[in-house]
Amino acid sequence: MAILEIRHVSKFFGGLAANSDVSFEVEEGSIVGLIGPNGAGKTTLFNCITGYYAPSKGDVVFRGLRMNGLQPDKVCRLGMVRTWQKVRPLTNLSVLENVMVGALCRTNSLFEARRMAQEQLRVVRLDQKGALLAGALPIGERKKLEVARALATRPKLLLLDEVMGGLNPAESEELIQLILEIRKKGITQMVIEHDMKAIMRMSQNIVVLNSGEKLAEGAPEEIVSNPRVIEAYLGAEV
Amino acid sequence: MPSPSFIRRKWITSAGGKRVIPLLLLASGVALLALIPLSVQSTYALHIMILTFVSIIMGSAWNILGGYTGQYSVGHAAYFGVGAYTTMILLQFRHIAPWYGMWAGVGATIVTALIIGSICFRLRGPYFVLASIAVAEIFRVTALNLKDLTNGAEGILVTELPPLKFGDTVITDFTTKVPFFYTGLITALFVIFVTRGVQHSKLGYYFQAIREDQDAAHSLGINPALYKNIALVISAVFTSVAGSLYAVYVGFIDPGTVFSLDVSVQIVTIAIIGGIGTILGPVIGAIVLVTLSEALRSNALTNALIHAGLVNADSRVGVFLKENLSHAHILIYGILVVIVILFMPQGLLGFARRIVTRKRKG
Amino acid sequence: MSIFVQSLISGILIGGVYALIGIGLTIIFGVMRVINFAHGDLLMLGMYATYFLFTQFHIDPFVSIVITMPLMFLYGAFLQRFFINRVLDALPQNQILLTIGLGLIMSNTVMLAFTSDYKILSTRYSSSSVSLHGISISLPLLVSFAITTVITIALYWFLLKTDTGQAIRATAQDREAARLMGINVKRMSIIAFGLGSALAATAGALISPTYYIFPQVGSSFTLKAFVITVLGGMGSVIGATLGGILIGVAESIGGVYFGSGWKEVVVFVLFLLVLLFRPSGLLGKSRT
Ligand SMILES: Nc1ncnc2c1ncn2[C@@H]1O[C@H](COP(=O)(O)OP(=O)(O)OP(=O)(O)O)[C@@H](O)[C@H]1O
Ligand SMILES: [Mg+2]
Repeated sequence: MAILEIRHVSKFFGGLAANSDVSFEVEEGSIVGLIGPNGAGKTTLFNCITGYYAPSKGDVVFRGLRMNGLQPDKVCRLGMVRTWQKVRPLTNLSVLENVMVGALCRTNSLFEARRMAQEQLRVVRLDQKGALLAGALPIGERKKLEVARALATRPKLLLLDEVMGGLNPAESEELIQLILEIRKKGITQMVIEHDMKAIMRMSQNIVVLNSGEKLAEGAPEEIVSNPRVIEAYLGAEV
Repeated sequence: MPSPSFIRRKWITSAGGKRVIPLLLLASGVALLALIPLSVQSTYALHIMILTFVSIIMGSAWNILGGYTGQYSVGHAAYFGVGAYTTMILLQFRHIAPWYGMWAGVGATIVTALIIGSICFRLRGPYFVLASIAVAEIFRVTALNLKDLTNGAEGILVTELPPLKFGDTVITDFTTKVPFFYTGLITALFVIFVTRGVQHSKLGYYFQAIREDQDAAHSLGINPALYKNIALVISAVFTSVAGSLYAVYVGFIDPGTVFSLDVSVQIVTIAIIGGIGTILGPVIGAIVLVTLSEALRSNALTNALIHAGLVNADSRVGVFLKENLSHAHILIYGILVVIVILFMPQGLLGFARRIVTRKRKG
Repeated sequence: MSIFVQSLISGILIGGVYALIGIGLTIIFGVMRVINFAHGDLLMLGMYATYFLFTQFHIDPFVSIVITMPLMFLYGAFLQRFFINRVLDALPQNQILLTIGLGLIMSNTVMLAFTSDYKILSTRYSSSSVSLHGISISLPLLVSFAITTVITIALYWFLLKTDTGQAIRATAQDREAARLMGINVKRMSIIAFGLGSALAATAGALISPTYYIFPQVGSSFTLKAFVITVLGGMGSVIGATLGGILIGVAESIGGVYFGSGWKEVVVFVLFLLVLLFRPSGLLGKSRT
């Protein structure tokens, strides 16, 4: 069953079509990879899905509900949460409090929120750093904090925007394991990533964007052998 | 290496822990304060303390919106003035006692705040600051022009207050400063208490999340418009109460003293100097500012200089200081703001805490 | 009808002075991204400098500009060098408060030196006017408009044609890129603040024959400067020029039709509307 349906979504900035007529579905429990060259419109699509932009055309349907025009906070409460390509820690709050803010979406009790936050910090292995200021974390740990904070909102669908960007191989591997672990908990994920090998390993389904349009969609094996994808995108990298 | 205070965020919130001793200290401190009017005969000392209480209320009220929620309103004179004017107009022209009029002021302020919020909160950063100033200015000019209601530039002067009665017993007839002292003390304590409550609740976390990063907060299920308006209403209500209290205590208001940009700046200054986003910051800011500017206003500083033999009372310098320093108490605001922003951007409280942590580390 | 034309013309004339104030603020904002809350106080300093030179040395207000302008340039450069430069990376609100604090220091120091009395600088021509087709125009306003025009043209020339001017515009467009291109950004900031301060003070000098002079006169001009720059789009010099004239006209005509008490409300409501619906200014998207 599809948890998320993108139906003919377009987003225009003035004359520029950052997304044009993009359609695909996200199966519940799966990991969908979203790839494409820089400026392909991946982040814009996330923004359209999570309510930061209203799509210029088309519909976003989440668990059977049309989401167009719904604000990000409502989207989050309905069970869909995103992380940020450029991390956005709440700098002057502690790591634990950052995650608590996420957890408070599901509870009014600080005590309960603290418990939920500690649990998520254990999941991303930041439980030793809870008392530090979020602004004091190095980049690798900031990325993990983003994930923990998003998970604390108890999402059904998690949208990860380049969580491995700027990380060293060991840190990337750790995040891949983390994403696979999250999948085991039944949380659906959509992952934007530039590292093709990582995407191949994680995703069941891959959507390729190019200049705002959907270029191809399919299983990893199909994508690597798709001549249009190779020409437009992979040719340079693989 | 980040500095220790950067890692341990103690100077922003003291997270629980040994609660009993501070509570005891607090209780005895409050008890001591409450006893002051019985032992202190000087009306001037009481006067300064009342001004300090009003400043604490103003600074703490602003702190909830500016310090915790990160919305730097430089237009809080609007709420201060609405409270002051509502109370005084009702008292003067309708003979409604200020302890009722004050609540009417609070009601008017809530309406005002929600209207202002719906306009200004669409804007961010410097644009929000500018809009908040513009709104307060509109109130000032309106108060100047609605002469039938506000007496215009002449202002409203009230010389006599109706006695506060409980049944038939007169509790106080407001002829001394003592009732104002207790009203100020209780309200100031209440605001501090509310700030503490906010800080240790979901509300406080949401406010701070919006301050740190509004977009990130939005993605985590926080409705920024809703929570900013909640912060504004709490903040505006206490500012309005401070305005009512001030107006009734001084007995005179005009648009310049309650609606002007100076008032807004003064409110912000109290919080910044002490340290924003902390419970005690505005308290410290209020004490420092009121003491210093009163010392100038009353010529205490000049007298001290003369007394210490540093300045000859009859010399030109001495005469000049005596005649002029008392007019320039606002100067101290300016100098303090500049020093604090340049050298202790976390305010006096943050600065003190940093020194303490440094000492402890050796 | 003649009242309308009359107020239109005096609006345009006073608008020229407003434009100077606005241009100064917008240059500072463009280069530093700092909103200068002390702008009106710089203007006030210009007024007092003019007043001082007039009463002590009998130098005509319109002549003394040649002294006031460079002095206030140096003063602005000093402020930038020793105060503003230190908070360029701080929170915008701290920058705002710093300039508020500096403004308070200026106005209260002046109050100590000159007391808070209202001063009047009355020249022989303060209240004289020229008549044209039944419309009378205040002579000092006319002269100040002429001087404003000259200064504005010189300023445009400086910004467009000289190397320093182009470097300032480049810094205003993108500070980082300018730094990479080898522009000395710190120096440009100092020049920009000096320039802004000199322009504000000149505006103060120009209006000193027709305005009351008192230490707190600055704050209403600070507010006006905000309105002007926001109307024109923060950072836009052309926008500020037009914004200044627009506000001059709006005030003048608003004063006639709504009564002088309400004209400020007209201006502030206009300001809020622009902030809300055209935050990049009436001139549209361009921010530089
Ligand atoms: N708010 C905006 N206003 C105007 N143009 C925008 C906006 N956001 C994105 N764009 C443009 O839309 C296009 C797609 O940008 P987007 O950030 O979605 O790409 P991306 O696929 O996420 O790229 P990257 O891999 O670099 O993150 C780009 O050309 C970008 O400049
Ligand atoms: Mg992107």
